[in-house]
Amino acid sequence: MYQRTAAIVGAAHSRLGEIPGATALGLMAEAAVGAIADAGLTSADIDGLIVRGPDDEYCFQQQLGERLGLDVAWATSLDNGGASQPLAVLLAALAIEAGLATTVLCGYARDAWSRTRQPASRKARLNQATHHRLREWRDSFGYFGEPATHALGAQRHMSLFGTTREHLGHVAVTQREHAARNPHAQMRAPLTMAEYLDARLVAEPFGVYDCSLRTDAGAAVVVTAAQRARDLPHTPVIVRGFGSHNNLSGWTVGDHMVETAAKRSGERAYRMADVTPADIDTAQLYDCFTYMVLAQIEDYGFCPKGEGGEFIASGALRLDGAIPTNTSGGQLSEGHVEGMLQIVEGVRQLRHEYPPDRQVPDARLALVSGHGGNTVCHTTLILERG
Amino acid sequence: MANPTSDTAGRLRRRLPRPTAESQPFWDGCARHELLLQRCLPHGHFWFPPANICQRCWSTEYAWTPVCGLAELFTFTVYRRAYAAELADQLPYVVGIVELVEGPRLISNIVGCAPEQVRIGMKLEVVFEDLDDAVTLHAFQPHADRA
Repeated sequence: MYQRTAAIVGAAHSRLGEIPGATALGLMAEAAVGAIADAGLTSADIDGLIVRGPDDEYCFQQQLGERLGLDVAWATSLDNGGASQPLAVLLAALAIEAGLATTVLCGYARDAWSRTRQPASRKARLNQATHHRLREWRDSFGYFGEPATHALGAQRHMSLFGTTREHLGHVAVTQREHAARNPHAQMRAPLTMAEYLDARLVAEPFGVYDCSLRTDAGAAVVVTAAQRARDLPHTPVIVRGFGSHNNLSGWTVGDHMVETAAKRSGERAYRMADVTPADIDTAQLYDCFTYMVLAQIEDYGFCPKGEGGEFIASGALRLDGAIPTNTSGGQLSEGHVEGMLQIVEGVRQLRHEYPPDRQVPDARLALVSGHGGNTVCHTTLILERG
Repeated sequence: MANPTSDTAGRLRRRLPRPTAESQPFWDGCARHELLLQRCLPHGHFWFPPANICQRCWSTEYAWTPVCGLAELFTFTVYRRAYAAELADQLPYVVGIVELVEGPRLISNIVGCAPEQVRIGMKLEVVFEDLDDAVTLHAFQPHADRA
């Protein structure tokens, strides 16, 4: 059993938003340098590397190592989609405890906005790189885009529990309130419920504000032994527990789109960390779409299954709510960096870095999630102020 | 995917499936207006999408077997935005996950009723849409007798 021996000691993100000419690798380097500096370390201290880039990048860890001149004991990339980023921290903690490495850089970067500015032929090639096996069963029926996959789940949740678009709207509106206080956020203009409800529909029940952003950015954290962390500049953030679950049989199988892989991933993480949902001070949840926040709020036990709509409408996600969630604005409003910004925000909240209007008061425990891989892979981290 | 196409009336313009060795019998069945699934010989388990092994018992002994074409709508989404240019004049259209009475779920289109009338749990039956170049897709419409 893991003995809570690892800590996050550095965290940073690159420039974030619509960055003309950006490349994923360039942004990854920017974030990596930032996180190592934030930790008070140098390149010589890094002996482990788990980084991931866009799905069509080969051996992203090797590309980053080449760019930064790093030879390390232990390195890999991961292939669990949006669940990969907390999984990197999980594996880093285990690698450190096992003695494979002492100090591991974990990161992710993408150029999701800049890619939309690429010539059409390159865009087409990039599109073909993912999910080619699914296409035979989807494209012919006009099933395109990630919104539909999650909309199918939202529609079923609505049918089973009476969840409404307004309930989903509270996720979008609350996270935009958080983003308005975050100077780095991509979308800071206030969003009203009326604007949310009037927005152009994409794939019902989703409108544009249910969908996360196209972002150019990288983010990274540095993980090292908790014992060593005491000598470094920031309050360490202990990796107290973690879990994962993977509904590999499929999103449309069983009830996976209503009770997601977060449920069992969370149970494992709570057990390892020896805490309950009531102990968690802030949640940083993977929010590719509004519905995924609602589903995870239930799956993580912050409220019973089926009651997420009313719970969220009561203001639960706000800074003074029952479970302040995605307090940087999340992927819906801060920027979509495949869950890596969720880890960075969890660290910053636990360090008590923010002015009062952004800080979760006296935050001691943060739950961070990652979700992806055609929406069946899930990882949970429970982080603790050291 | 192959180029989009249209039917004789020019109504449907779809990207055509590109069958694999594993899926060819399924599409051949559609061309004959038969919905065929693989069914394992030891236990009679059905599965979809096509694969070389039964997901439940791992038997590799199976037969392509016609199913009755009756289903229930598990969930759906109504497309209001065209993710591919050739679909712009199809909007709004309905993509559903249908659960066949034999068990497997598949992605299809819900046709024969307005998007506003589509409901989770509604009873459906398969129909086939022949496209220009001998490719046939399945779709599902409300089943009058079971509605």
